[in-house]
Amino acid sequence: MIDRQISQGRLDLLWVLAYAAAILFLLRLVNLQLIGGAHYLEIAEKNRTQIIAQAAPRGRIFSSDETAIATSKPSFSLIYFPGHAKTNPEIDRMAKALARPLGADYEELRRNIYKAASREKPVRLAENLPPKIMLALSELKAVYPGVDIIVEARRYYPFGAYLSHLVGYIGKMDTRDWAARSRDKNYSMDSRLGKAGLEKMYERELKGKDGGIYLEVDSRGKLNRVLESRKWVPGADIFLTIDSKAQAAAEEGLQKSATGKGAVVALDPRTGAIIAFASMPDYDPNMFVLSGSEKEGLPAGKILPEFNVALQGSYPPGSIYKIITSAAILESGRVPPSEKFHCPGYYDAGSRVFKCWQKKGHGQVDFINGLSNSCDVYFYIAGQRAGALNIEKYARAFRLGQTSGIALPEEKQGNVFGPSGRAAKKSYWFIGDTLNLAIGQGETLMTPMQAAAEIAAVANGGIFHRPYYVDRIVRSDGQQALQNKPETMSRVQLKDSTWALIREGLRSVVLEGTGQAAKIQGAEIYGKTGTAQNPQGKDHAWFVAYATVNNEPSKIAVAVLVEHGEHGASAAAPIAKAVIEAALRSDLKAKNIKPEGPLLPGTTRQAGANL
Amino acid sequence: MIFTPGAGLRKNRVDWALFFAAMLLLAIGTIAVFSSVAVLPQQARIIRVQLIAIPIALAVLAAAWSLNYQIYQDQWKFVYGFILLILAGVLLFGVVDKGARSWYRLPFFSIQPSEFARVGLILVLANFLDKRIGKIRELPTVLGAFALCVPVFLLLIKQPDFSAILITFPVALIMLFAAGASVFHLSIIVGYGVISGLFPVLWSIISLNPELLDNPLVGYFFHLSDSWGSASLFVAAVTFGLWLLWRLSVQLYANVTGVYFAGAALVLILGFFSGVLVKNQMKDYQQKRLEVFLSPETDPRGAGYNLLQARIAIGSGGIFGRGIFSGTQSRLGFVPERHTDFILAVVGEEMGFWGMALVTGLYALLLRRIMQGARLARDRFGYLVNCGIFGMFLVYFCMNFGMLLGLTPVAGVPLPLVSYGGSNLVATLMAIGIAESVYARRYALV
Repeated sequence: MIDRQISQGRLDLLWVLAYAAAILFLLRLVNLQLIGGAHYLEIAEKNRTQIIAQAAPRGRIFSSDETAIATSKPSFSLIYFPGHAKTNPEIDRMAKALARPLGADYEELRRNIYKAASREKPVRLAENLPPKIMLALSELKAVYPGVDIIVEARRYYPFGAYLSHLVGYIGKMDTRDWAARSRDKNYSMDSRLGKAGLEKMYERELKGKDGGIYLEVDSRGKLNRVLESRKWVPGADIFLTIDSKAQAAAEEGLQKSATGKGAVVALDPRTGAIIAFASMPDYDPNMFVLSGSEKEGLPAGKILPEFNVALQGSYPPGSIYKIITSAAILESGRVPPSEKFHCPGYYDAGSRVFKCWQKKGHGQVDFINGLSNSCDVYFYIAGQRAGALNIEKYARAFRLGQTSGIALPEEKQGNVFGPSGRAAKKSYWFIGDTLNLAIGQGETLMTPMQAAAEIAAVANGGIFHRPYYVDRIVRSDGQQALQNKPETMSRVQLKDSTWALIREGLRSVVLEGTGQAAKIQGAEIYGKTGTAQNPQGKDHAWFVAYATVNNEPSKIAVAVLVEHGEHGASAAAPIAKAVIEAALRSDLKAKNIKPEGPLLPGTTRQAGANL
Repeated sequence: MIFTPGAGLRKNRVDWALFFAAMLLLAIGTIAVFSSVAVLPQQARIIRVQLIAIPIALAVLAAAWSLNYQIYQDQWKFVYGFILLILAGVLLFGVVDKGARSWYRLPFFSIQPSEFARVGLILVLANFLDKRIGKIRELPTVLGAFALCVPVFLLLIKQPDFSAILITFPVALIMLFAAGASVFHLSIIVGYGVISGLFPVLWSIISLNPELLDNPLVGYFFHLSDSWGSASLFVAAVTFGLWLLWRLSVQLYANVTGVYFAGAALVLILGFFSGVLVKNQMKDYQQKRLEVFLSPETDPRGAGYNLLQARIAIGSGGIFGRGIFSGTQSRLGFVPERHTDFILAVVGEEMGFWGMALVTGLYALLLRRIMQGARLARDRFGYLVNCGIFGMFLVYFCMNFGMLLGLTPVAGVPLPLVSYGGSNLVATLMAIGIAESVYARRYALV
């Protein structure tokens, strides 16, 4: 090596610099390609693909007797792919040609197409195309390339408002839904999802997997080619425990009632399965699926009656509470059931006089008579004897103040009235409070769901099941995803003699007491009427009942509430009768008794939207 | 071998590693270029140019290899005159492409003279430093070296071709460093270069964001270049300020000689004037180009977007890549400039980590071999030439990789041998040929 008067150290320094740079770059590449490879690949794929989603048919919803309550039907959408170079006059001509059959505004259509063309993104020009214009559009499709018709599935409720409070409805995503699902690949900004009821609770099962046309686009969004056309997977079918005929009877009964407002809940006391679940007023869930032009005929600005009376309505129970008071009286042992009290039509509590509902009085009344005729005075005296705390204890045992545990949102828990609540508030408990408590007035509140659970517990000997409405879920490949089994929530322990006496009383209510309107030939009905005073208006009418046939375990227990229906005996009991008759139709038929016949679901109403 | 690299050379006089590293990079680059242009409308032209450029470049490589490199030292005046001539000529006869008058249009292809000027300047600087090696630690030598660069830079600014300056300036620094120049002197030069670039940049940024003028200091600064009066005020202020600082350091018994303060003042003032010169020299469209070049957000699509897309392309390649001719990011046009500055995005996407590691490794080998050539060179001129070529590859390598990997700012710099670009390829292989010539004519056989 020759002397160049230059130190080699500087060369080494440069060399180190070069290799440090190379190593730094390699480390960065490891980070980028080896660690982040999958992530970037996903972004790259998203970059180049545009998807026109085709909504999969949602799972169908069936009643227990396999009547389809919610199905899907094909719906056609007109889309425009801006892949083909188009001059403005061409677009104008196309918009004009398309506007006529679509019945759409030419200017708006033209603007949509221009927007799609300038962004070079596919766009839906129209949804839910009616069949009669399909032919015209198919012809135009051949003339104007880029225009295409895709098929999608659209939710359809054949019986309209039928069972609407349980089924719920679907709708477009709002910002909150989107925040929750933006990472879910099965949803896009314009997909629809369950917004209420069953549709919301079982969204995951019902949704299915959307199909789609996958398009490859370049950096300017220009269409290159169709990558693949993916077929959808329909959602899982849900089979309910609802009996379609009983449900129809319940809805019809409520609609025909004096106010048309109220709720019916019918349970199978053996399992907790819900047989009928009606709440009025209701709504037609088809309304939410309609596209813009179809909505025009409908009354605008109508507030949706989403309030679910059966779960969210809390009412004073009135005399149906006497079942609980009876349990307290009999279990306390302080009142022999044969002991008679005199009812002159009122009870003097010292400071105030409490009336019996029967002004002329019931005369000498024992327990069975008292329950059968709903004699208030009997319960004033016997209830006082049993003690307010005792009654409150049984109210809690009958699950007042607790939700039933049904898988539906926003269930109310009613209110337990009693001395302990007052004590907690450091307030006083008066004799008058005990009297009110005994006949189900005062501050006691109950939902129709709780009333149904109460009467079901009487029918099955004290068991509270978790009420359920989904029997099973069957996936589109035939595999069963879920089979519901009865679940015991709690149990009221009463002496057998107590149960027997209460049942005897309830039987005599229907045979000779206040509930004779519920009498059914061929079945034994056990019921209790209730007429709940309320300060806002006319009394609410209650009726709770269960039925047995041939001394077999009861298959149906029902609670009916007619808001402001005035008398449980006249307003609520006939509805309960119709529901029980419909639910037991096969048993009654076996006995050759022709039911008076509720109508088939849907026959009395406009079935869905006329599409 | 398809050619004989000079008479009388034995086989061990050939740096095979350097040669094959260059050829392999060229092969990878050509595949990537063909893949990236497959869907471009200029596809036919780009493939044709590449296919014409490769044989020409190989011929130039062979010529530079067989020619004794010492001839450049003898004829340095001709070399220097030639590069000034082609750079001046392009301003008169060149055609404008992408806002810069940088191209000679020929019937089949275009030539970008700045690529050749860079290699020529390395030779001229090597000669200058070789002659002045005894006085290398004196400031006039360093200034003299840059005085040689200044005409070239002025002609490049005139085009304007800022990325050529951005490459050449560090190369000159590396050569001076390798020659043993004082680090203090070099930092003066760096300071001067940074300041003369910084002033026009700051003015551009202010004119891009007029709301900054609300601050009176910024407003005063912005109007510095408007008249001689305010300029002389600036000079006086800087001089006085640094004199005060010097006096202060003397009072504090800080062991700093006045030379440093004088140097700082000189750098600030000279930087300011050349900044004003650069600013006044620029036409509107040049100003615009500078703005886009330095503040890429002014680009409508946004350089951030481009860089992100390039990074997605590289990342999506994973270990083995998505297959040659199968990268969606580059083929569908998400990556901009994918056959030139962003060619690594194509390599990364289609050939994956192994492809990128191979390119990195080959570059490291290339740099190593050129450096080895410098060590073994028979004379100081050869040593300095190889250092210059080493510096050129190093700067390209760092700036291109760094930009793509988000480690350095976005600057339109290609990756020699891999990127598309006929003139760049020919000039690069010429440089490789010169490096081979230095290696071949060494004394020692190591």
